[in-house]
Parts: sequence; structure tokens; C-alpha cells
Amino acid sequence: MADTAVSPLLELHQIRRTFPGVVALERVSFQLLPGEVHALVGENGAGKSTLINILSGVLQPDEGQIELLGSPIVLANPVEARQRGIVAVHQEAELFPTLSVAENMALESGLPVNKFGLVQWRQVAAVAANAMSQLGPSWRPDTPAAELSVAHRQMAQVAAAIEQQVRVLILDEPTSSLSRREAEWLFSCVEALKKNGTGIIYISHRQDEIFDLADRITVLRDGQHIWTRPVDQVDSNGLVVAMVGRSVETERARPDPAHPHVAPPELPPRLRVKGLRSGQANSQPVDLQVAPGEIVGLYGLIGSGRTEFAQTLFGLTPAVDGTIAVDGITHTIRNPRDALAAKIAYVPEDRLREGICRHLTVRANLVLSSLSRWTRHGLASLARERQTSSDMVRQLAVRHRTIEQPIRQLSGGNQQKIVVGRSLLTRPQILVLDEPTRGVDVGAKSEIHQMLRNLADQGQAILMISSELPEVMAHTDRIVVFQEGGVSGEFDPSSASASDVAEAAFPSGSGQLLTQTTKTPARNKLRLHMPVAQWGLACVVLLLASWLWISTPNFDPWMQLTHATVWIILGLAASSVIIAGGIDISIGSLLALSAASAAFVLRLDYPAVVTIPAAILMAASVGIAGGLANGALSLVGRVHPIVVTLGTMTIYRGLVIMLLGGRPATDLPSLFIWLAEPQSGFHGAVLGTAFLACAVYIWLQHTRSGRHIFALGSSPTAARLVGISGTRTWLLAFAVGGGLAGLAGALQLAISGQMQSRLGSGWELGAIAVAVIGGVSIQGGRGSVLGVILGALLLRLVTSAIVRWGIAGEHVDLLIGGMILAAVLCELGWQYIQTRVRFGWSQRSSK
Amino acid sequence: MNRIDSSPGQLRRIATLGIRGCLLAIGLTLVFSQVQRPAALVDVWLPWAEIGILALAMTAVILCGGIDLSVGSTVALCGVVLGITLQWQWPLTFALAATAGCGLCAGAFNGGLVAIGLSPLVATLATMAFYRGLAMTLSGRERFAGFPDSLRSWQTVAGIPLHFFCFVSVGLATWILIHHTRLGRWCYVIGDNRTAARFAAVPDRRVDLSLYTLNGIAAALVAVLHAIDENVAIPDAFRGAELQVIACVVVGGTLITGGEGGVLRTLIGIGIVTHLEIGLRFLSYRFPLLTPNSRLIVIGLLVILVAIWNQRLQRGSDNA
Repeated sequence: MADTAVSPLLELHQIRRTFPGVVALERVSFQLLPGEVHALVGENGAGKSTLINILSGVLQPDEGQIELLGSPIVLANPVEARQRGIVAVHQEAELFPTLSVAENMALESGLPVNKFGLVQWRQVAAVAANAMSQLGPSWRPDTPAAELSVAHRQMAQVAAAIEQQVRVLILDEPTSSLSRREAEWLFSCVEALKKNGTGIIYISHRQDEIFDLADRITVLRDGQHIWTRPVDQVDSNGLVVAMVGRSVETERARPDPAHPHVAPPELPPRLRVKGLRSGQANSQPVDLQVAPGEIVGLYGLIGSGRTEFAQTLFGLTPAVDGTIAVDGITHTIRNPRDALAAKIAYVPEDRLREGICRHLTVRANLVLSSLSRWTRHGLASLARERQTSSDMVRQLAVRHRTIEQPIRQLSGGNQQKIVVGRSLLTRPQILVLDEPTRGVDVGAKSEIHQMLRNLADQGQAILMISSELPEVMAHTDRIVVFQEGGVSGEFDPSSASASDVAEAAFPSGSGQLLTQTTKTPARNKLRLHMPVAQWGLACVVLLLASWLWISTPNFDPWMQLTHATVWIILGLAASSVIIAGGIDISIGSLLALSAASAAFVLRLDYPAVVTIPAAILMAASVGIAGGLANGALSLVGRVHPIVVTLGTMTIYRGLVIMLLGGRPATDLPSLFIWLAEPQSGFHGAVLGTAFLACAVYIWLQHTRSGRHIFALGSSPTAARLVGISGTRTWLLAFAVGGGLAGLAGALQLAISGQMQSRLGSGWELGAIAVAVIGGVSIQGGRGSVLGVILGALLLRLVTSAIVRWGIAGEHVDLLIGGMILAAVLCELGWQYIQTRVRFGWSQRSSK
Repeated sequence: MNRIDSSPGQLRRIATLGIRGCLLAIGLTLVFSQVQRPAALVDVWLPWAEIGILALAMTAVILCGGIDLSVGSTVALCGVVLGITLQWQWPLTFALAATAGCGLCAGAFNGGLVAIGLSPLVATLATMAFYRGLAMTLSGRERFAGFPDSLRSWQTVAGIPLHFFCFVSVGLATWILIHHTRLGRWCYVIGDNRTAARFAAVPDRRVDLSLYTLNGIAAALVAVLHAIDENVAIPDAFRGAELQVIACVVVGGTLITGGEGGVLRTLIGIGIVTHLEIGLRFLSYRFPLLTPNSRLIVIGLLVILVAIWNQRLQRGSDNA
């Protein structure tokens, strides 16, 4: 046994965790020693992920205790876990895609700031450079994380973890997307960490890695701790048996002798698939034949390619290669409708996400895929739908109250039956079911199995995907095993042994590692360097300005600048919200409201020296209050901010009209107007805007709260994981946006010298245009102050140029609309190209 | 059947119905207690019939999880197209066809943007500015007045305003479309769970495209009605109408995120918003403090509060 002289680094006592209807972990105890690699193995759904999530603070245990270095701890959230030195590197790394790798690393442990609250970028860069120097020369810390391949994201996380001097490192399937060389780098890291006394929890399906690296192995099965043994007391066969469980042998019920599973050879196969390749990265050609009346089980681990195969068959992801023939006729399947026409139906894996429409009725969910059958002359028939639904519900023995009740009120098993029933109503010849019994109680499980057998007896071909070996052993006529994107074996359940099947599913040799080095593709060729885009914008602005200067007799640059200042500040207001991932279309009205309140203060009977600062302060605070209201309302209602601000836009505008009482305010103090007037020579508007822009720049680029705005917009999930308060950051973004809009209002008041109730109406569109032209991403997380300034200047100059060309001013609206549209479309196109380049042209984009 | 369900979800649902009834009652009382000549109400209702038609068409779009902020601009653009073509002495039928075509193209463009993956809010915000700009540019900010009598003569049909017939027939058409066709069924499915819809072989992009296109055609119809009624087409018309339209749909009880709602609810919503607005306008004649524009505040508040309430209601019933 492990030497007892060393006290454990981390200890779990009797951890229990349940999810509705499922016990994920049943009193599991676990011990990690310093300097130990402890492998955690088990089938899918054995409870490994739950255990990791509890350890990294994502989930809380219902019962049980966690001890770190002998003292009990509570890990309420991921941040606390990180602070205590427990770091998990997940299979799907959560990063901030629009931020640099260096900043990503720094955000994990909190950005370092100096005594003025400014981020110490040098330190951030140094730490990142240090970590990356171990990874090789091709790494640059300033690369946006979005441009990294999955493998490189994982490596960056491991490198960051090493830099942080972690106590406990959890590696979840770290080699699944690494090439051999990268994997070797990882193994050397693990060895180095071991020497430093870090405890490592290692999760992998690859047996050779486990036997090479691990000191001890813990097996989980169905949420229970099976055993923990030192690696030298375990052999490969014993490990598989422990993972799969003896229950396979006992529970195994061979197919009923009344149903000979081998179809008469003269019957043509119902489904014949030749060389079918899905768009998945490691997919291999799959050949498969299914006879009428046959149930074929597709067994394999998650990510082994079985679900991808099924979805390609159903047309959800286009096939790269290969043919599909049903009853001897070849079909081209480009989308699910083609598949249904070819008589192939699919029951998806994730019932809640992909299967049911929770709020719709049982009937609506049932007839969904076969609506054209109940439609005559374009009209749907409720009577026919009801009749069919009642029949189907009775046939499937669904326990329900009425077919018009929302499906969410049914139990999981009954919901699953509805999804199967939906497929049956399309009258398929081939039924593909992906994990049909997951999350289903025992009674419904056997009913579903019986139903599949009945369907097969009626001559349908059935493909059943399952991660549960006992299920495929007991309820199929043939088992096809998937591994690493291709078929790795075929078994007859009546004669094959469970461990043989399992052996074929679990990758064993390291030869399975991707042979070629994964690349972060075309990094430098296609990357749009922000500065480059801005240089281009700057050139356009300069050219336009000089042309105007030369060709216009009385061109006054100060005048142009003064008129651009309002756009600059309003553009910054729009940007600060957009960068955080929101949008505020009430800033035009907010500007007017602030200007109106400022005008009210200015016209009070006090000396101008008092009223002017008071008015500016008033404008800013009205703006901040309005912005906060927008942010808070969208948080409270969880309604998209555009809907909320559409409402507040009219409210603020109504307030403006009430405040002004229908008359424009004109008699403002002359000192106030002098401050902003371009003719006065003081250029207060330009100076003030320059100062404000600098302040916003420093806030956004060099303070923690500014960077958190970027982080929130870049990825809300990742922000939560590194402990950024979404609520506070969101409110801050809206408050700053509102405040800036308020200041823009005061400025506009000074420049124009009067206040009308229609001031600023429609300006929100101009502000959004300025922001997107300046390179602010409409999806959040990216943008710069300089870009916004250039965008505002461009808008102003183009407006002047339009006048210069003798075209009427109404084209400005068209221009603004066209600019937003073009910028948004460009961004979409750009993303499309980038996704395609990164993942290969065959795969569809994720969204 | 003894299904007196006293779950909190059910109670909240009843409360919602009650609130809606009260709002409608308040609106109607305000209007009918103020109005001196009930016949005059017809004139007051006419502009709201236009908003109502837009709201009915928008119901389908919102049910399917979308939104169209560009309706107001589309109406203005269609009005300008009608004005220009008539100014060019086009035959009336051609001019009307051009107007309808303009609405169709504008709607289809919105639908296309959404179908290629833009967020409907952002896409239609951009086209809202773009169509308005187009209307301004095409018209040169000029208004088009003096439509031919052949068009004006349709103002009333058999003594009843054309608006009324159009409103009723659009109501009927959307009711059939949403509640009795395959497209309507698909709307709900896509609005509830787009992924599941895709897995169930629903052509979600084609549905998007057709709904936004229909919305554009409804906008064209409203543009023609507006021209007939006012005898003028203004490129600045229907600014801010998108809020009133969305208000009608949301206040009626259709979820702003889609998947739940219907035409009857929108009709109730139209009733509430219309009469509150008209009632407040009547009141403001008597109380100068209630400037006509305070109505904006009321509608804005109503949209936000009802949208939040509906959203909460649905999340409440999720746990049931």
C-alpha cells in the first residue's frame, strides 16, 4: 500500500452528491498524496466528472467532507479552489477567446496591479513568456486565445498551472487532442510537478498512459468507489473488469431464442453504409450493414465517433465522404429532411437540449417531425393530430394526464418515449437511437427495450448507441465498437465476452495518439492585427481630411474636431456597453435627458462659475443613473438589454419633453457656450474630450475593472470560473456608458447653445456605427478607444464630404445604416472564414 | 373534471390574466368616459389599426424567437416607394406592386441576415437605420402628397373604413397561419428550442426567411393604408413605431423570447395599448401636466414590466 508515513495532501470523506433522480456519487472517499499521480478511471457516467467538479468548486457535495493538508475546507466556488491551489484543466478549456494568451493566464490568478490600481502588464507578459518558453519558440504570449487549437489551449492551461505553483492539479483527458510530441511534453511536466510535491489527479481512457504515469489507480463505477490500488498490483484485464463490472456477466440475457438475430442472407440489407466519414477531426471511414429486423448496438466511449456517425447518417453534419443506401437505393443526405425522406429517423442523445420542446404540449412534441402528414391543403388538422397522438401515446404506454399537457410535466422516461414516438410517426425503416435509456428509470428502460424489439420484429433496422455495456450485451443482435473515430471491432453478444468488447472500446496503444503535430493553423497569415486595421482606418481619415482641407476654401479643422467630439464620447459610451456583451439603444435619449437637466441647472439664478460645474456634474449623474437603470432592469428580468433599452429609450425621451415643457431652452450662460465654441480659441470641447478619452483608455486598458469588462464580454462562463462578478461588471459597464452619454449631452448643449426636445433622437445608431467602424466587436470582448476615436472622425469627415460633394444631408442616415450593416456583416464573414480555416472547411460552424 | 390546480404557477397565470383584464378595463373606461362623440372614435382608432396589423404580423416573428426592429423604417420606405412610383405616373396597380415588392425585399433581406446567423436584434437594428436612410435618400426628405383619387376612393368601402377590413383580414390570416398551418407549428417549436427543432428536421432557416418576409409584406400593406388615410407619404413616418408594435405583442402575453403566445393574446394587447394611449391623450387635454408625450413613458414602462413579468412567469413554471 502507499506509504503511510506521508500525510495526505487532499482527502475526500464519504462524498455524496445527487442530481434530480440520479445518485452521481455514493459515499466516495479518495486520497491524494503529495508528489503522487493518482489515476481516476471509470466508464462514462461513472462519476468522475462530478468528483472533479466538486474538487474544483464548481459543484458542492450534498454530504461529506474535503480536507486539504489535514484541515477541512469548503470550496464554495472555483475561485476559492484556485486560491487554495487546486486547479483543474478540463477537456474543453474555458478561455477568453478575444484576449491574449498572457492575459488569459493572468486572469486565472487575478490580474496583478500596482499601488495606483493599474495593471502591471510587464509582470503579466513576463510570467506568460516564462511559461511559454517551455512550450517552444512558436508561441507568442500576445496571440488571442481564439486562435489557439484545442491542444494548444490545454497546453497553455497546463503551463499556467505550473507557473502558479499549484498544490493539486487535475488533468481531465489531457492527451485526447495532443500529438505524440505534445503528449511527451505534458508527461515531462507531470514528472517535474511530481518532484515539487504537487498531487496530480489524472483522468484518461488510455491504459498505457495510466500504467506509465500513475502511482495509484482508483476505479469508480456507477458513482461508487470500487477500489484504489498501487499501479503494480493492477493488470490491464483486471482494470477493465473493475470498470465494467461483473454485473455484465450476470445480467446478460441473450436475445430471445425466438428471435434469431441473423437475418436470412438473401434479404438485402436495409441500410448499407460505405466509407462514411463525418466532419469530425479524427473520423475514419465507416462501413456498416444492417439487415431488416436486426438491432445493432454501437458501443464506444464519448468522443469515439459513434454519435458523430449517427448524426452524419441523419444529415445533421454533412458527410465528407461515403455513400448511404437504404434498401439498395443510394440517397444523398444533406440535411435531416433528406434523411427522413430516405426513411431514416434519429432519436438524439441529449433529451432536454436536442429532444423536447419543454413548454409545448405532448401532442405538439409528438407530431413535430411528421406535420406534413397531417396537413391538407396547407391547413394543419388538430383533430387528426390529436387522434394520431392519442393512438401513439397508448401504443407506447406513456403515463400522462392528457395529450394537451406540457411535456415538461412528464417523467424522463415518458418524455423519451414521446421523442421515440415522434420518430416512429415519420414511418422510418431505419431507427437510430442515441443513448435512448439515459436518465430513464428502470421500468421505462425495459419498456423501451421491449418496444425496440417489437419494432425490429416488424422489419425495421435499429441502431442503438449506448455507453452501457450491459445494455448493448443484453438487448442487441450485434455489437459494433467505435474507438477514436472508427470501427474497432464487431461482436456477437451471445458469444463474445464483455471484457473483449470493452477492450476494443478503450484505446490501449499510444500509437492511437494523433501522429502529426497539431497546429494552430494559419496563425499569422489570416490574423487581422488590430493595429493594422486601425492604421488603415487612420490613413482613410487622414486622406479624407487632407482632401477636404485642400478642396474646401474655408475648411476649419478645429470646427471639424469640435463636431466630432460628441460622436467620440457617445461612441465610447456605446462601446463600453458593447464590449461587456450588452447593447444600449437608449443612449441617444439619455444624452437628451442629461442635456435637459444640465440646461435646467444652467438657467438657475446663480453665477455661471457655480452653475457650469454643477450642470456638468448633473449631466453625468443623470447619465449614470439612467445607465444603471438599464443594466439593472435587464439583469432583474433576464431580458435582452435591447428590449429593456428600447423601453427606457422612450421613457427618457418622455422625461425630456416633460422637463422642457415643450419649449426649447436657449438662454444659456455665454461662458458655457464660449467654453466649447471653436471660434473662441479655447477649444474646451476638444481638450475635454481628449482628457476624457485618455481616462477611458486608462480605465479600459490598465485597470482591473476595465479588463473585467472585456473578460465578461469575451466569455461570461469563463468569467464566472475565474471569479469575476458578472452582476457588478455588467452594471459598471452600463453606468460608465450612461455617464459618458450624459457628458456627451452636456457637451452637445455647449456646442449647439440650445436644447430641443428632439436632440439626440436616432443618435444611438450613429454611436453604434462609430463603435463598430472603430473595430468594437458587436458580440463583445473586443474594441479600443483609439479605434472609436478614428471611427467618430471618419463619420464626421464623411458627413462633411457629403456636403462638400453637394449631396443633400439626408444621406447620412443611409450612411450610418449601411456602415453598421457592413461592419456587422464583415465580422460575421470574418468569423466564418476563421472557423473554416481552423476546423477545416468540412465542418459547420458551431453556432 | 376537477382540475382546480392551485400550484403557484397556476395562481400566477390567473394573476396575469387578471392584470391584463384590469389594464384593458382601465383603458376602455378612460376612453369611453372621456369621449363625447363615439363616432369620432373611428378616426382615433384608424392609426392604431395600422399598428395592430404590424403587431399581428410581428407576433409570428416573436413566437419564433426573433424580433424585427425595422418595421417602422420598412413602412416609411414602402410609403416613399409608393409616392415615387405614383409621381412617375406609374399605373396604380404597378405602383402598388412595387410597394409590395419593396416590403417583400426588405423583409426577405432581414430574414436572410437572420438565417445566415446574425442575432435578429442586431440585424434589424442595422436595417432599421439602413431602410430609414434609404427612405430619406430616395425621397430627398420630401413628402409625397396628393395621391390619385383612384387610390383615395378606397378610403371607405361600403361606408366602413378600409382599415377595418384590412385589420380583420390580417387578423384572420395570421390566426390561420399561426394556429392552423405547419409553418405556425414550426414557429412555436423553433421559439421554444431551436436545437430540438433542427434535430426534428424543421427547416428553421426557411421558416425565419418566410416569417420576416411576411412581416415586410404587412409593412407594405400598412404603408398603403397610411397613404390612403393621410393622403401623404412621409419618409420620417412611423419612427418609433417598433416600440408600439412590440408593446402590443408583449403586453398581450406573448413571450419576448418566443415559444409561447398567440394571435388572440396579441389582439388583447392591441386593445390594451391602444386604449391606454388614447385614454391618456384624452386626459391630457384636461390635465396640462400630462403632456401628450407622457404616453411614451407609460408604454415604455408597460413593455419593460410586462416583459419581465412574463419571463419570470415562465421560469416559475419551469420548476413546476
